[in-house]
Amino acid sequence: MASLVSRYLGIRFDMDYAFHLIVLISIYAILAVSLDLLVGQTGLVSISQAAFYAAGAYIGAILAVGLRAPFLIEVLAAMLGAALISLLVSIPSIHLRGDYFFIATFAFQLVVTSLLNNWVTVTRGPLGLAGISPVILFGVRIESSGKFAILAVAATAISYVIVWRVVRSPFGRVMRAIREDELFAQSLGKNTQGMKVIVVALSAAFAAVGGCLYAHYMTYIDPTNFTFTESLLILSMVVIGGAGSLIGPFVGAGVLVLLPEVLRLIGLPSNTAANIRQLFYGGLLVTLMFLRPRGFFGKYGFGRKT
Amino acid sequence: MLERQLLLNAVVAGSTYSLVALGFSVIYSVCRFFHFTHAAVITCGAYLAWTFIFLVGLPPAVGIVLAVLCTALLGAILYGCFYHFLMLRQASPLVMLLASLGMYTVIQNAISLAYGDVYRTLSPNASFGSYPILGARITGVQVATLTANVLLYGAIGWALARTKPGRIARAVANDRELANTYGIDERLVFLVVFAVGSLLAGVAGILIAFDGSINPTMGFDALLMGVVAAIIGGVGSIPGSVAGGFFIGFIQAFGVWKLPTEWQGGIVFIVLLAFLVFRPNGFFGKPLPRHTV
Repeated sequence: MASLVSRYLGIRFDMDYAFHLIVLISIYAILAVSLDLLVGQTGLVSISQAAFYAAGAYIGAILAVGLRAPFLIEVLAAMLGAALISLLVSIPSIHLRGDYFFIATFAFQLVVTSLLNNWVTVTRGPLGLAGISPVILFGVRIESSGKFAILAVAATAISYVIVWRVVRSPFGRVMRAIREDELFAQSLGKNTQGMKVIVVALSAAFAAVGGCLYAHYMTYIDPTNFTFTESLLILSMVVIGGAGSLIGPFVGAGVLVLLPEVLRLIGLPSNTAANIRQLFYGGLLVTLMFLRPRGFFGKYGFGRKT
Repeated sequence: MLERQLLLNAVVAGSTYSLVALGFSVIYSVCRFFHFTHAAVITCGAYLAWTFIFLVGLPPAVGIVLAVLCTALLGAILYGCFYHFLMLRQASPLVMLLASLGMYTVIQNAISLAYGDVYRTLSPNASFGSYPILGARITGVQVATLTANVLLYGAIGWALARTKPGRIARAVANDRELANTYGIDERLVFLVVFAVGSLLAGVAGILIAFDGSINPTMGFDALLMGVVAAIIGGVGSIPGSVAGGFFIGFIQAFGVWKLPTEWQGGIVFIVLLAFLVFRPNGFFGKPLPRHTV
């Protein structure tokens, strides 16, 4: 079947391509599911997930290139680093909700993008970081895309289970209480502001895992991978798949990664492909806001009219 | 000499940020949601002017007036055919924001597809001369920008404070339900507010196009500065928006002058974060509406 498709459509359809898609879906699934902690569970719409993704990717890459650190140490350092960096946005915006929280994360995203481009001594600016070594895990050198796909799927599964446990725990219940009525949660003696800071840090830490995977998979990162557009893509995955359901963002990641591939099958010229893809994402977002604001599998429809 | 030139450029750039802030702020304070598509309206203003002047071949003045009127119409259409139906569905402010983000993405990419991503300019040869002023040089374009901006602040301020439609708009901004009970049709108010706000956005887009270049993401950058200016000044306050725009212009100039390059691009947003922490209502703002805090 695969060979038939490739013969008639003239595209490369082999196992490497399939593994590539699996890796991409896994990375975006981690990003979208971690963002769902914030958007769907706690009701804080954030557009800075690409900033934490970038933090993970750059911390991982710098440790791998400069210190030749083992992969697990590197991931833990990236998670910790991203969580600490997230305090820079979560503590200032502790009193903010709704539009204003969105604007604060928006500003943070732009500061990070600008830093990646201009802090040349650390990030090498627009040149990016190249030559990131392959992952060596438990003595196995993960170089082929097949092995990397296994690593990515495993990382996604572990992250998903941890996030799922958090969401099912009493902590997760308080998160949803904040989403529905923060004042009421406070009146029950919950430290909602402290919890919001923790949730942002947790979400950032898992985004950093995605960043580490991406850096090692591509072996090259530059600031164009971590812009506002990327954050918007991740947010769209959460909203389209369905905020607040965990499985929704997972599906959203799959759909939005595979859609451009379908467009490629149709054979659009590559210079307009990026625009058409984004046109499609935007259109999908608008349509869903009209027909079903809670997305395909969502449990949270972003509140009623106030 | 250099400092004076920087200061002058800051004033001119700041005046355009103020205009964007004013348009955004008027729409936000009356309609109470984050109209992200404002960015696309700014871009449309510049592209419409370019189309009328260079593709259709109209005289520049006619082309500009026509483009500004078209952006006002675009704003009215955005409300009438898009936001109005979302409001009918009892959409929450967050749903409006997400839909608006989607709409912005659609329009921006449609412009990219139609015109390509190349940079264009509205003033290929004419810069309308340049004149010495207080030890710096001001170009004709900058004089026109400042004049147009100051006239528009005055016009909007006067219209809101002294005319009947302005009073009605302020009434709806203040308390939508109470305004309804007095027989004010809020839909009509929203329509007019969108048309006026978008008109300001169109003017801002054209001014940016004259001073710099036209590209499909120009509105995004301009809106960011406008939103920061509006928040720093206090959303809903006209003197606030104007002061905020000039303040942002000065901060940027200060960044270029004194700060190392890695912080220049982000300084404005760092200032915004500082304002959100210490003074979320801005210079002149009233306390935030309850749902945002």
